[in-house]
Amino acid sequence: MPMPAALDRENPSVLVMPGPGLPAFDYVRASKPDEVCDLLLQHGDNARLLMGGTDILVLMRDGVLAPKILIDVKHLPGMTTISFDPAGGLRLGAAVSMNTMTAHPAVKQHYPLLAEAAQAVASYQLRTRATMGGNLCNASPAADTAPAALVLNARCVTWGPDGERIIPVGAFFRGPKQNVLMPGEFLAFIDVPIPPPGWVGRYIKLGRNAGGDLAIVGVAVLGYPDANAASGCRFRIALASVAPTPIRVPEAEAILANMPITGETLERAAPAAQAAARPIDDLRGSARYRKAMTRNLTRRALDDVWAGLRKEG
Amino acid sequence: MSTPPTSQQAPSPIGENVRRVDALEKTTGEALFADDLQFGPNLLYGRIVRCPHPHARILNVDASRALALPGVKAVVTGQDTPGTIGLYLQDRHIFCRDRARYVGDPVAGVIATSEAIAEQACRLVEVEYEVLDPVLDPLQGAQPDAPLLHPDLEDYEVANFIFPKPGTNISNHFRVRKGDVEAAWAQCDAVVEREFRVPHVQHVPIEPHIAIAQADRHGQITLWTSSQSPFAQRSLIADALGISQSSIRVISPYVGGGFGSKAGVSMEALAVIMAQKVPGHPVKLRLTREEEFFTTFVRQGLIAKTRIGATKDGKLQAMKTEYYWDAGAYTEYGVNVTRATGYSSTGPYEIPHVHADSYCVYTNHPVGGPMRGFGMPEIHWGIEQIMDLLAEELGMDKVEFRLKNCVRGGSIIVTGSEMHPVGLPECIQKAADAVNWGTDEPASAPHKRRGKGLAIMWKAPAMPPNAGSSASVRFNEDATVTVSVGGQEIGQGAFTVAAQMAAAALGVPVDWVRVHGPLDTRYSPYEWQTVASRLTWSMGNAVVAAANNARRQILELAAEHWDEAIENLDIQDGMVISYKSEQSLPLQNMVVYGLPKPDDQGWRGGPVIGHGSFMPTYVTGLDPETGQGPRSVVHYTTGCQAVDLEVDTLTGQITILRVAAAYDVGKAINPDQVRAQIEGGVVQGASTAFFEGLAFKDGVPQNTSFVDYRIATSVDIPYEIISIIVEVPQDDGPWGARGVGEHSMVPTAPAIANAVAAAVGVRILDMPITAEKVYLALEEGE
Repeated sequence: MPMPAALDRENPSVLVMPGPGLPAFDYVRASKPDEVCDLLLQHGDNARLLMGGTDILVLMRDGVLAPKILIDVKHLPGMTTISFDPAGGLRLGAAVSMNTMTAHPAVKQHYPLLAEAAQAVASYQLRTRATMGGNLCNASPAADTAPAALVLNARCVTWGPDGERIIPVGAFFRGPKQNVLMPGEFLAFIDVPIPPPGWVGRYIKLGRNAGGDLAIVGVAVLGYPDANAASGCRFRIALASVAPTPIRVPEAEAILANMPITGETLERAAPAAQAAARPIDDLRGSARYRKAMTRNLTRRALDDVWAGLRKEG
Repeated sequence: MSTPPTSQQAPSPIGENVRRVDALEKTTGEALFADDLQFGPNLLYGRIVRCPHPHARILNVDASRALALPGVKAVVTGQDTPGTIGLYLQDRHIFCRDRARYVGDPVAGVIATSEAIAEQACRLVEVEYEVLDPVLDPLQGAQPDAPLLHPDLEDYEVANFIFPKPGTNISNHFRVRKGDVEAAWAQCDAVVEREFRVPHVQHVPIEPHIAIAQADRHGQITLWTSSQSPFAQRSLIADALGISQSSIRVISPYVGGGFGSKAGVSMEALAVIMAQKVPGHPVKLRLTREEEFFTTFVRQGLIAKTRIGATKDGKLQAMKTEYYWDAGAYTEYGVNVTRATGYSSTGPYEIPHVHADSYCVYTNHPVGGPMRGFGMPEIHWGIEQIMDLLAEELGMDKVEFRLKNCVRGGSIIVTGSEMHPVGLPECIQKAADAVNWGTDEPASAPHKRRGKGLAIMWKAPAMPPNAGSSASVRFNEDATVTVSVGGQEIGQGAFTVAAQMAAAALGVPVDWVRVHGPLDTRYSPYEWQTVASRLTWSMGNAVVAAANNARRQILELAAEHWDEAIENLDIQDGMVISYKSEQSLPLQNMVVYGLPKPDDQGWRGGPVIGHGSFMPTYVTGLDPETGQGPRSVVHYTTGCQAVDLEVDTLTGQITILRVAAAYDVGKAINPDQVRAQIEGGVVQGASTAFFEGLAFKDGVPQNTSFVDYRIATSVDIPYEIISIIVEVPQDDGPWGARGVGEHSMVPTAPAIANAVAAAVGVRILDMPITAEKVYLALEEGE
């Protein structure tokens, strides 16, 4: 968020704050993917995509971004469609609203972790507009759906001047608010493969208050039985809000794959997640608190998932 | 004061859960707020150029580039506002003149054909500043060598009960000297001393501040605004401009939440000054949410240093307190927070020896002003925690300790006044019982710890001794009644309560009574301000007086008509009746057309209009050296809240399981509305306890949005709120009623702090009690 301290570079005597309305922009409703690529190439930073608008319009109103053109991609084929194939998995149009996603029978039945993560975002009202595609593209370190996407091995399917590209979510984030999309390229679908049989997932978000805050820490854990692992199980762990991007923590995952799952093992894995965290101090919480919460909430999520696995098994 | 005879026969609406008169309008969206009003094509928009420095001298303002922008009509600066403005201390220019004193201080106003153009033009106004050393802490500000923020303090107009210290940054010093504190310490077996801190918080009304002003060519000014105080705004702006009150008309439709922020004058005068520059054009100024956070009023910050002592039998002996208020750049309203917290500085306890100093300190922070509780939530944060600590030191149960020391009818309070009859002990007992006080109950999980805590409170309406109310009661032909008041409906239910009182006093069904906005200083009767939880009591007294006046006119008419003694007559359920002759007459028509004389000899009576007013003429002044006086305030409302909560030891998160809140309201005119006030206060109090506080870095507020400044939402308050109404009647209230609008917010935070301490042994002395603070304290305690 821009602080009122921000001085206008051109006129340092003025206190610059978010203004009373949106700056002027052109609205373009795209009907073909190529049209989007062309507009993005042609206008560069002056063009942005419009899906739910819950980030872009706020950033424009706050004066952080000032695109001249917003390209509405909600009407491209498949952008607001959810399809499920028992063999291939889930395909989410990038502009599917979070409320549509969480209410979809296939998501509820096969991907409850996605629904749990999406329901941690903002408020119900916001989620009527907000999209998971936007949440990922915005690339906030605190994105609540990112850890779930990471542990589900989701893939970003993009469309660009050179055609389709498939990017694992783990390779999609470049830094705070930065993704790896190339000029002219945009996110079209999120593909989520069928998770391993017997899996159990959990997302725990810690905010300052119970509803609507950005995460101080977010932890997603997905566990599943695996006869090839020494422990008989594998766990995937991902964290939000404790590093420049959402991250997986392979060190902790390795401990859990290689040692019999006991209270002691879980107790060793949690500090490994903490060690991977590189948080900052901000208004929501100090780095010290975030590191401690990474440990404690990883442990809590592991306990929940392990309890679920034992129940399933 | 004026309690009319209540009927024996017809049911009285007093004490009934009458449906709110504004419920339908507001739930359907038909209710109009200031930004809904239409002004046609002449409307212009204003935006404000604000100082980016906490403290600076203004050397030059160059608006030429702004004026050159197409669509810009005019720019105003401090040169357009010669006078000063303020409620209790006139320490403020409407636009800054030579000096700016906080980040956000208005330096210039731009008027343009659209908000966007005005905003764009603001960035073209060039202001030359000389940056000055700021005061960013009230302890620093109170030092003799601190930068002086108001060198002209001694020249400012000031109310006679406010005591500025010219040559310092202290704009009011309220003192209590009662008994002999220094000698009393020796008699104490236990003494506790602590320092407590409370940050600045925001009211965050759902409707941001808005004002639309229009000046005509003969100097008449109209101001449409979301306001708790149309009359005070009229008066203060007229004084500042040096014009007659009759030259300003303030119109205020419904208010979308005030909590004190829309009392007095904050941004409204800016719109007036801008409108004067473009006569004939209405000029609309509406604040963004970001501006709302720090450019109107904020609740002042507080540093409280308190020492108390008691004998080993648990009897309080002495209290020494220093309050340093971080009152901000201008303290025109905040000086009275200092005074109110001085004369209430002990909290609701009887303490023989008291030494208290309450300092209002200028700082280069946002302007401190009124907020729900008017200083009481801030001082009770410390008082109620230190009472717990002292009880622990004495090994006493905290309920027993409070019952032993709390004020009762006849107690001599901190100002030397005698306490009126009060149900505080009953509140304490009932709130404690409602949470099974003294019973350890299990937490819901092994990593959670459960604890119970409680806090008590008092608060008096804080206002000048001559704050008045008035009302009129007019009958329509069909005997429905239009009640006019000058108090505002700010969501608290004032119009409904006024209707209930008028109906009861007149003897008509409550659904015959209409109480409407908008308030309009041209047509509405005078009301000082809608603040201090004073409407049910003060405006209520005026409504009853007006109703009695109308009733008298009707009874006199009927007495003459029937040739009976007026003492035998009554009005019941809309009928005039005689207990003697058993005759009756419907009110319809007679209340406008009168009644025919016998034998076609003409008519008597006429349209019935009742009027009434009220002012608490029995309040006395206080000695400026000692703070002592016979009746310092009209009355105190008291109460107690008990909190049962659990703490997650692995995150520090706190979950409130239940809150029991008991208040002595004298008489609940509308019990549902009392419960609504209690619930709202508990929620707002809990929100400040857990989440709220403006963060400053070098005087610059860092969290001026709901992203960064969190408040409680519905999902944060899943717990049970047990509202308990206690009714010990008040001698000067209608039907014995006292106010309760602010009070339920006062003890919430310290009760939570006490419960957290009981649960996990962590004592948080600086508000808020964030999960992080609790967790890190637990980690350090390990």
